[in-house]
Amino acid sequence: MQRTYVAKNEERGKTWNRNWYVVNADGKPLGRLASEIAVVLQGKHKPIYTPHVDTGDYVIVINADKVALSGDKWEQKMYQRHTGYIGGLKEIPYGKLIKRRPTLPVREAVRRMLPKTKLGRRMLRKLKVYAGPTHPHIAQQPVDLSL
Amino acid sequence: MPRARGGNKRLQSRRKIMRIAKGFKGKRGTSHRIAKQAVMKALRNSYIDRRRKKRDFRRLWITRIGAAARQHDMSYSEFIGGLERRNIGLNRKMLADIAVRDEKTFATLAKMAKEEAVKE
Repeated sequence: MQRTYVAKNEERGKTWNRNWYVVNADGKPLGRLASEIAVVLQGKHKPIYTPHVDTGDYVIVINADKVALSGDKWEQKMYQRHTGYIGGLKEIPYGKLIKRRPTLPVREAVRRMLPKTKLGRRMLRKLKVYAGPTHPHIAQQPVDLSL
Repeated sequence: MPRARGGNKRLQSRRKIMRIAKGFKGKRGTSHRIAKQAVMKALRNSYIDRRRKKRDFRRLWITRIGAAARQHDMSYSEFIGGLERRNIGLNRKMLADIAVRDEKTFATLAKMAKEEAVKE
C-alpha cells in the first residue's frame, strides 16, 4: 500500500488543476448558495482534497444582488460591526446594504462559512462576486456550476 | 544525610534532555531549565498526536470518498451502504486511494453501490 495521497502546490497543473465556475445567484437562497460555494472554494468536492493545501476552484457569482431571502429578512437581517468606541455598534439592514454594496452579502455569507485561518482567507480570494449578469473572466472559460 | 549533587549521573540526565530539545526555538533549545519543560510538553503532545493521527486520517479519507461519491451522484452514506450490502471489504483507506489514483475502478465501485441502492 502506498501512502495516502497529498496534493502539493508545486504539482498544480500536473496532477491536479484549478477550474473556474460560474454561478447565477438570481433567485437562489443566500445561505444554501453560500454553503455550496464554500465547498468548491475549499476543494472538498474533489477526491484529492488535502486540508493544508488550497485545492479549491475559482467561483464567479453573477447577479449577486438578486439572491433570494425568505421571510422579512430584507428589513430584519442586520449586518453588524463595531467601531470599538462606546455605543459604536453599527447596524445596517440587508435591504439598505444591498443597495450600497450589492456584492457584499454574498461575499460575507461565504466568508463566514470558510475556515477562519490564513488558508481560509486565501481561499476567499478565489471568489469573484458581481452584481450584474456579466463578468470579466471570459478568458478563463468558466463552466456553469449546477447547484 | 548528605545532599546529592549528582556529578556524572546528573550531567547525563541533562544531556538527555538537551539532546531531545535540539532545534527548539530560543531558550527552549539552549537552557536546560526551560528545555526540560519544553521536552515534557513535546513528548506528551507527540504521544497524543500519534493517537490522533489515526482519527485525522480516517476523517480525511471519508471526506475524499464523499467527494468522489458525489461525482457519481451519490452521498457518502449511500456509497458505503451499497458496498456494504455487496460485501465489498475494502476499507476507507483503500477506497480513498482508489478515488484519487484510479478513477475507473472507483467508477465501477460506484456503479455497484448504486445498483444495490436501486434494489430497495
